[in-house]
Amino acid sequence: MSDPLSQEVDAFVHHEARLLDECRYAEWVDLFLPDARYWVPVSIEQRDPMDGPSHFHDDIQVLKARTHRLANPRAFGAEPSPRTAHIVSGVRVDRTMDDGALVVSSTQIMLEYRNRGGFEADQRMFGGRVTHLLRRMPEGLRIARKRVDLINAEGPFNAMAAPI
Amino acid sequence: MASAPQIEVPDPTALVREDKVHRSVYTDPAIFALEMERIHGRAWLYLAHESEFKAAGDYVVRHLGTQAVILTRDKQGAIHGIFNRCSHRGATLCAFDRGSAPHGHQCPYHGWTFNADGSVRFVSHPRNYDGVLDPADQAIQSVRIESYRGFLFGNLAADAAPPLLDFMGHMKTSIDDLVDRSPTGKVECGPYVLRHYYRANWKMTFENLNDTIHPGFAHAASVVSARNVASALPASEQPVATLGMMLANGKPIQFFQDIDMVTAPGGHSYIGGHMGASYTPDAQNGYVQAMTAFHGAERTREILSIDRHLMLLYPSSFWHARYQTVRILRPVRHDLTEMIGFVFRLVGAPDETYANAVEYCTGANSAASPVIADDLEIYERCLLGNGFGDQQWIPMSRGLKETREVTNAFTRSPATSEAFIRNQFAAWSSYMAQA
Repeated sequence: MSDPLSQEVDAFVHHEARLLDECRYAEWVDLFLPDARYWVPVSIEQRDPMDGPSHFHDDIQVLKARTHRLANPRAFGAEPSPRTAHIVSGVRVDRTMDDGALVVSSTQIMLEYRNRGGFEADQRMFGGRVTHLLRRMPEGLRIARKRVDLINAEGPFNAMAAPI
Repeated sequence: MASAPQIEVPDPTALVREDKVHRSVYTDPAIFALEMERIHGRAWLYLAHESEFKAAGDYVVRHLGTQAVILTRDKQGAIHGIFNRCSHRGATLCAFDRGSAPHGHQCPYHGWTFNADGSVRFVSHPRNYDGVLDPADQAIQSVRIESYRGFLFGNLAADAAPPLLDFMGHMKTSIDDLVDRSPTGKVECGPYVLRHYYRANWKMTFENLNDTIHPGFAHAASVVSARNVASALPASEQPVATLGMMLANGKPIQFFQDIDMVTAPGGHSYIGGHMGASYTPDAQNGYVQAMTAFHGAERTREILSIDRHLMLLYPSSFWHARYQTVRILRPVRHDLTEMIGFVFRLVGAPDETYANAVEYCTGANSAASPVIADDLEIYERCLLGNGFGDQQWIPMSRGLKETREVTNAFTRSPATSEAFIRNQFAAWSSYMAQA
C-alpha cells in the first residue's frame, strides 16, 4: 500500500465512491471515458455483457441519462432520492495491461436508504467485488470499465435507482 | 390441484363489473389463494424452452403459480415436469434453479432418489419397508406439459385442461412471430436470466405493460433525461438503443390512439409496435439476407412486416417477438411478485440481433432500468393506496365505447384503451366463477 501507484489507485476508488454518496453525479460520470461501460452482470460467470441481460449495462449516454434522471423530482422510482453510503475495502492493483491500463479490484458495500414511510425495508445493502479498468489520461486516472459483481447477482432486485 | 384448501371468499365474480373492479382483488390474501387455485391452477403457464435442456439430466426449476416444478430431460430426450417435493417427508429436491442430475434427483434428507418422470429410483434402507410400502407407489406427482414450437407450458389441471392451442387461440401468432424471425427456424434460450421483484399484486404488471397512457406521466423523468442527453449528442452520433427505449415513452398520446390493441378470449392481448425503425434488427443486411435464404423474399417481407409490441399471455407470460424477449410472471404472495426475463437467440442471425435483444431485455426487465424502476414504484404505491379510504371501486372504463372490430378470434380497440384490462377481468371472472 505504500507505493505511490497503490496509493493513487486507492484514493481514486474511494473518491469515485464518495462522489456517488454525495450525489455529485455529473462529476462521477466525468470519471468515465467516452467509450466506457458500467456493468452489473446477473452472474459472476458472465464473461461478456452481450452473453445475456444485465442489471446495469450502461454506456456513457445511458449513464448520463440515468444520473440526470436522479435529479428529476418526477423520477418516481427515485422519489425521494436514495441516499447511499459506500464502504470501500481492499483496493488492489491486480495487473497492468500491455497498454498500461490498470485492472483494479476492491470489495465494496453500499448501504442505500429511501424514505418510503419507514421500517426496515427502506434500507438495503448491496455488496460484492468491484473491478475497475483504469487508464491514465492527462487529467488523471479515468474509468474504461467498471464491473460490479454483487454477491447476490442472480437474485431478483426491487427497483434500483442509485448506481452502485 | 389435488388437495386445494377450501377458502372462504364472497362470490369473487361480484368483485368485477364491466367497467370497474373492486380493489380487494389486489389486496386480499384470500383472493390471491383462490386465484392460485382457480386461475393459475387451470391456465397453461409458460415454463421453459426446450433449448434449456441440452443433455439428459439437465433440469430447471420453475413455478406454476406458487408451486415449484422441476423440468428434467430424460435419456430418451423427453422433458418431464414433477413437483419439487420429495414424496417421503416433503423436502424440496432441488435447491438451485437449474443444473444437471443425470443420475436422478436425490432428496438431501434420506436420500430417496427420483427419475425425471418422478418415478422412484431408490429408497434408502428398503428392508424396513418390506410388506409395508411399495416404492412404486411413491412416485412424485407429475404435471401435464405441452409444447408449442419448442416452448413448454405446464398445466396443473391435468386432463381437465383444454389443449394448449385452444388456450392460446389467436395469440399463438405472436409465438410464431418470434420463431419465424429465425433464419434457421430455430431459437435458443440465452444462458442468463434477469429477475426483478416488487411488493404488490401480480395483476399490476398485466395491467401496466400495454397501458399506453402511463408512460407520458410515470416515465416522464426518463423521457426528459433521455432527450437532454440526445440533444447534446454530436451530429455524427445516434442515441443508443436503451436511450431510444426511454425516448419512445415520450410519444404523443395520439400516436398510441392510432395504433391497435388486440384482445382475445382468455385474457390475452397485444398492441402494435411503437419502438421505431431505428431500434430493430431488420435494418441489418446480414440478417435480412439470411432470412431470405431460408424463407424466400416474399415470406421474409411478410415476417418482418409484423410489428407488435408485447403480447400478454394471461395469466403468466409476456412475449416480445421482435426483440426475442419472454418474461415469466411469478406470483409469490398477494403483495409480492417476481418477474423473470429470458432472451432468445435467433440461431443463424448476426450477433447484433442477439445484442439488440439483450439490450431490450435489460431495459425492459432490469430493476435498475430507469423505466422499470418507476413502474415498480407505482405498483407499490397502488398497493399502499388501495389499503385505505372509502372508494372501493377502481374504474377500468377508458375506451369502453371505442371498439374498432369484433371477430370470433379477437377484438380490436385503440391502444389507449383499457380494453385489455377489462378483457383480463372477464377471463378472471370466468376462471374464478368455477368452484
